[in-house]
Amino acid sequence: MDLLQEQAAARKRMSWITGGILLGLLNTFAVATYGALGVSRSHVVVDGMLLRLFGSDLPSTNSYLSLVPDQADWLLMIAPGMIIGGFLAALLTGTINTRSVPRLWKSRYGNSRPKRFAAAFAGGFLLLFGARIAGGCTSGLVLSGGAQLAVSGFVFGASIFASGIITAKLLYRKQAS
Amino acid sequence: MIAATITLAQAGSDTVGIVGGTDARALILGLLTGVAFGAILQRVGASSYALIVNMLRLRDLTVMKFFFLAIAVGSLGMYFVNSVGTAHIGIAPFYPLGIIVGGIIFGAGWALSGYCPGTSLVAMGEGKVDAAFTVLGGFAGALALALTWDWIKPVLVDPLNYGSQSIPDILGVAPLLTATVVAAIIVAFVMYLDHAGTGRRPTAGKTQDHPART
Repeated sequence: MDLLQEQAAARKRMSWITGGILLGLLNTFAVATYGALGVSRSHVVVDGMLLRLFGSDLPSTNSYLSLVPDQADWLLMIAPGMIIGGFLAALLTGTINTRSVPRLWKSRYGNSRPKRFAAAFAGGFLLLFGARIAGGCTSGLVLSGGAQLAVSGFVFGASIFASGIITAKLLYRKQAS
Repeated sequence: MIAATITLAQAGSDTVGIVGGTDARALILGLLTGVAFGAILQRVGASSYALIVNMLRLRDLTVMKFFFLAIAVGSLGMYFVNSVGTAHIGIAPFYPLGIIVGGIIFGAGWALSGYCPGTSLVAMGEGKVDAAFTVLGGFAGALALALTWDWIKPVLVDPLNYGSQSIPDILGVAPLLTATVVAAIIVAFVMYLDHAGTGRRPTAGKTQDHPART
């Protein structure tokens, strides 16, 4: 069952202190080797690669797609690495979870898979549309930008938390738990 | 000191050109760095829908504390490396209109999906099916931005574009000293959040507003 599986996963979690120190050290290692951690550019690079694969000339004619490289670089490889890292960590700790609808979502919006998938898709659309206007996401602009003491990182961080908190409160208004 | 490594770009520090090289060593190290990044996020629970949404509902700040602490440690680490050797630091450009509007759109997507671009990849790796739809939505959103870039850039990115702006440059203080002070402020804030105990632990002697949070 969902609940038991989630509770088991929660018990096995790493503390936020250990995780925070490890992630800070990892970003230090990244900056010492090639550059700061970042994710959202990879979606643009992959879009370009896919379009090229289907014979579209958009990657060379579009003013935004033509900015990004047409080949894999260090930064792009972070993204597939994260999928593998998530998989391996879950596999090794027995926390693989193939659920479609999160329990909390279910308690508010019901069991419907199409409904949850539509929301997840729309959310992803907004995430990348917004991130690419701003020039980065939670990783590149807040985690890395904040650590690099970039003004843009702190302003973006304040914006996403303000908007995220308001949206979450609206989505779960009148919900006790 | 930072100037030598600053990446100036109109569209975001990481958008233009190749980052970190395309040779085998760069690709393999990038992949391994991503594996470690994904594993840490998974172990802490940052790829959990409930932990992210309950953070945004201000009910369980575990992920927020984790994330802020990582910024503090990263800042100290990066500017320490910068002071003793070469750090590949790239200060993202500051254009408040695009940063704030982009951030508001991003925040809505964050609460709706329960993931951010990175954690959606991790959650997909863990097997969570809805996260794969967030990743797909991300590809669509990035493409939509590319197709509308010519309209968005002159309105949100070009006006009030101050280029790379970092706190130590503005204050005229040495970067490592600034990083130390900022890290201390962040750690103090995280300790305050932990002490205030929003979520999880009931506060002794106080009535609890939300009895069932987990």
